Amino acid sequence: MKKEDIGIGIGLLILSTWLFWYVGRYSSREVYFYGPDFFPRILAIMMFILGIGLIINALLGNSLKMGDRIDPKGFVRLLIAIAICIGYLFLTNILGFATATFVFLFILMTFLKQKGIFIRLFSSLTTAILVWGIFRYFLVIPLPEGWLF
Amino acid sequence: MQFNLLFEAFGKVMLDPINFLFVFIGVTAGIIVGALPGLTATMGVALLIPFTYGLDPVQGLIMLLGLFSGGIYGGSISAILIGVPGTPSAAATVLDGHVMGKKGLAGKAIGMATIASFFGGLMSALIMTFCSPQIARIALKFGPPEFFALAFFGLGIIITVSGKSILKGLISGIFGLMITTIGFDPLSGCPRLTFGSIELLGGITFIPALIGLFGYAQVFQGIEKILILPTVKSELKNIIPRLKEIKSVFKTMVKSMLIGTFIGAVPGTGCDIAAFVSYGEARRSSKHPERFGTGILEGVAAPETGNNAATGGAMIPMLTLGVPGDAVTAVLLGALTIHGFQPGPLLFRDHPEVVYPIFAGMILAQFVMLGVGLGGLRFFARIINIDRRVLTPVIFLLCVVGSYAMRFSFFDVGVSLIIGIIAYFMNYYEFPGSPILLALILGPMVEQNLRRSLIISHGDPLIFITRPISAAFIIIGIFIIITSYYRIKKAMEKEAQASIAGKEKID
Repeated sequence: MKKEDIGIGIGLLILSTWLFWYVGRYSSREVYFYGPDFFPRILAIMMFILGIGLIINALLGNSLKMGDRIDPKGFVRLLIAIAICIGYLFLTNILGFATATFVFLFILMTFLKQKGIFIRLFSSLTTAILVWGIFRYFLVIPLPEGWLF
Repeated sequence: MQFNLLFEAFGKVMLDPINFLFVFIGVTAGIIVGALPGLTATMGVALLIPFTYGLDPVQGLIMLLGLFSGGIYGGSISAILIGVPGTPSAAATVLDGHVMGKKGLAGKAIGMATIASFFGGLMSALIMTFCSPQIARIALKFGPPEFFALAFFGLGIIITVSGKSILKGLISGIFGLMITTIGFDPLSGCPRLTFGSIELLGGITFIPALIGLFGYAQVFQGIEKILILPTVKSELKNIIPRLKEIKSVFKTMVKSMLIGTFIGAVPGTGCDIAAFVSYGEARRSSKHPERFGTGILEGVAAPETGNNAATGGAMIPMLTLGVPGDAVTAVLLGALTIHGFQPGPLLFRDHPEVVYPIFAGMILAQFVMLGVGLGGLRFFARIINIDRRVLTPVIFLLCVVGSYAMRFSFFDVGVSLIIGIIAYFMNYYEFPGSPILLALILGPMVEQNLRRSLIISHGDPLIFITRPISAAFIIIGIFIIITSYYRIKKAMEKEAQASIAGKEKID
């Protein structure tokens, strides 16, 4: 993965340069020398050196071989799953944690092509009730509330 | 040490069925809390304290100790089964434990984790019982230079958890240290890298980052490949490790126990540091360091012995000096105070009727944990046989709830998701996540104590060399970094050559 390592290396050089510059605003020499900018600047320098190291390593042909590649269809599936999760987070404040959790799990299992509607219903319902029960009654941790449970 | 009181306490705690019941409740609750990602033993102990108000102080305290031990062990169950450490101290267990789980050896891995946790917890409880004052005296000598040196030593472990590329491991580690600089500066209180966000003033909290790195990354990869990867059936026969297997890792367990007990005894450190250092040392000193990370028993035994050994170690400064060894013992200190006892040197003199039962309770908790752990092995191992299309959404849910539970914050859930997406891409480009985690654990300790030490010495870096404990850690740390680098590099070159030779043979 020579090209990828060079790209990441350049990104690290940009990140470390920006960090070194940005934390300059926290300099507080008038209070004591080792101020809020001290440690981030050390890290920025170290990251700069490592970024150069990564680029040189790639140019010398020592990059690791790319293992698994991202499956494009799988990646789209992942993005949709994350979108379902974001929808779930909004739903918890509307429906309540337990109800929204049941809906989230059922939809996600259906989306992932779990066959057997009864398995999906049973698993979603028992998991939602169990997690809600443990957090609400055993751990007494407040969970988002909505119209329902 | 008054042996007659000690034996009396053992008899009272171990032979009374009511006391046994409270330890059992504590251990079981601890295992459940520990196994749920996002919940920590600290949280579990804090939540259980109110339930102890109406109990006899000894019963309440031994229940809390049971939860402490069970909680630290419980993290290994989810680490092995689903690749998400239930507690930060189980993060190192994921490296080999989850790989064993993917090979169908989840039961054996959990069995090993149970036995290793039992051994580490029991031995450190015995050390706590007989050697508390002596160890506490050394631990009290730690000042800012010593803490920095210890953290430097811990960061050296990054080399051993870097996977295939040490350079990329170091980059991950530095990235992790950069993350720790977000939020209030610990010495001046100046907000750094918050970009005006109120939520970022507290920095990136550890639990959401842990769940993002290990939990979400795992879930995302699972969803991406769900139609490709077959479900692996877990082997349910021979799940308790055989004597021969335990013997093969016994030396590692003894070393990890000593490392864990010592690190636990240093105030402000904890079980998570102990686990990583134990794992790193096991790999560094192994004849086959290249096998670590491929799913070997030693890779499970080392961190699990280390983290449970730190439980006994952390109790030492708490009981003898009134200084907590870690976050959990800080809460336990509060529990003791609530029950009317002031931890410190006078506790031994004025309230031996509490101190000795604590020793006995801690020892009993290890046996109960062993029983519950081994008894539940078949049940735990079956979890991995659940259809991936059912298990993956459930793990996704646990990650969401776990990242929310710490501060009841959706912001933490968002941060965790973002870190998860970054970690997902990192895995593909061979950037390991463990160094980030190590850096998140040690970063604050490194920065604060580095700056404090330099302020104390007026900028003279020799302060780290002129103080003996600090110098020892720095020298050992450099030695470990250099030897680990060469050993691991040599082992990887050997493995690469063997792989090429194998391919040529097939051709």
